[in-house]
Amino acid sequence: MTDADLIARVLSSEDQNAFAELVRRYQSPVRAFLARMTRGDTHLADDLAQETFVKAWRKLHTYRGSARFSTWLFGIAVNEFRSVARQRKDLALEEVEESQDGAAQPARESVSQLRLDLTESLKRLHSNERAAIVLCCQNGLTHEEAAQVLECPLGTVKTNVLRGKEKLKRWLAGYQDYERA
Amino acid sequence: MNAPEEKDPMDTLLHEQNAYVDDNGFTARVIAALPPRRYRAWLRPALLLGAAAIATALAIRWLTWESLPPLDLSALLSLDFQALTPWMSVLLVAASITWAVVAAVQWDD
Repeated sequence: MTDADLIARVLSSEDQNAFAELVRRYQSPVRAFLARMTRGDTHLADDLAQETFVKAWRKLHTYRGSARFSTWLFGIAVNEFRSVARQRKDLALEEVEESQDGAAQPARESVSQLRLDLTESLKRLHSNERAAIVLCCQNGLTHEEAAQVLECPLGTVKTNVLRGKEKLKRWLAGYQDYERA
Repeated sequence: MNAPEEKDPMDTLLHEQNAYVDDNGFTARVIAALPPRRYRAWLRPALLLGAAAIATALAIRWLTWESLPPLDLSALLSLDFQALTPWMSVLLVAASITWAVVAAVQWDD
């Protein structure tokens, strides 16, 4: 059954089983995205993800089908994150200090260490860069879709992706063979 | 898709990093937290529209249209509040009703 079929069932008969199927399909990308945005706070990420799906349930009648359902969901998730980030300084938009550039010294040949360092490096990015990278490079959204989700110009998304990846490459430069990881 | 960047090794690494998150009861928690959807979708805009309709009917019925002075440009220019006050009341009522209708039509829960 397609997303459109499930959405139609929810709208016509308030079918919670159909909505549960939509949640099952998209819980992983939404929760993973929010976990990245909250710098690894999975409890907060799950709370935000739950609120995202509850809002999606309430507002489903406003979904026009012009964008992918996942894109629409990410848009709600971004707004949920932003509303919490406005109140919590630890989630502030700023990039974490770059003074530790190249700090990933030990075990540079290790693929698992590289992945750990990538996770940590993602946390250090400015949240706009992190959001653009996670949406485009990890979740397969186009730049246009990411611009729609983040409610910003297309050029800004492209810049944030490029700038974020440049920083990641710089911070992970010690792994000379990360191409083969 | 973002074709020019697909061959970037960093893209490959980022994509591989995107592991599946197990449900672990998440879907059940969401479904348990769902409010009644239809109620919220139409009730508040309907209340706003209803209130606007009642306000319009009351305004038509009770406003003393006959006693309104003719709208005079000189009174407007000279800011003669005594002459303008009845019209400002009408304008205020009309603006309130218009706002209520617009808010009801654009309601997004």
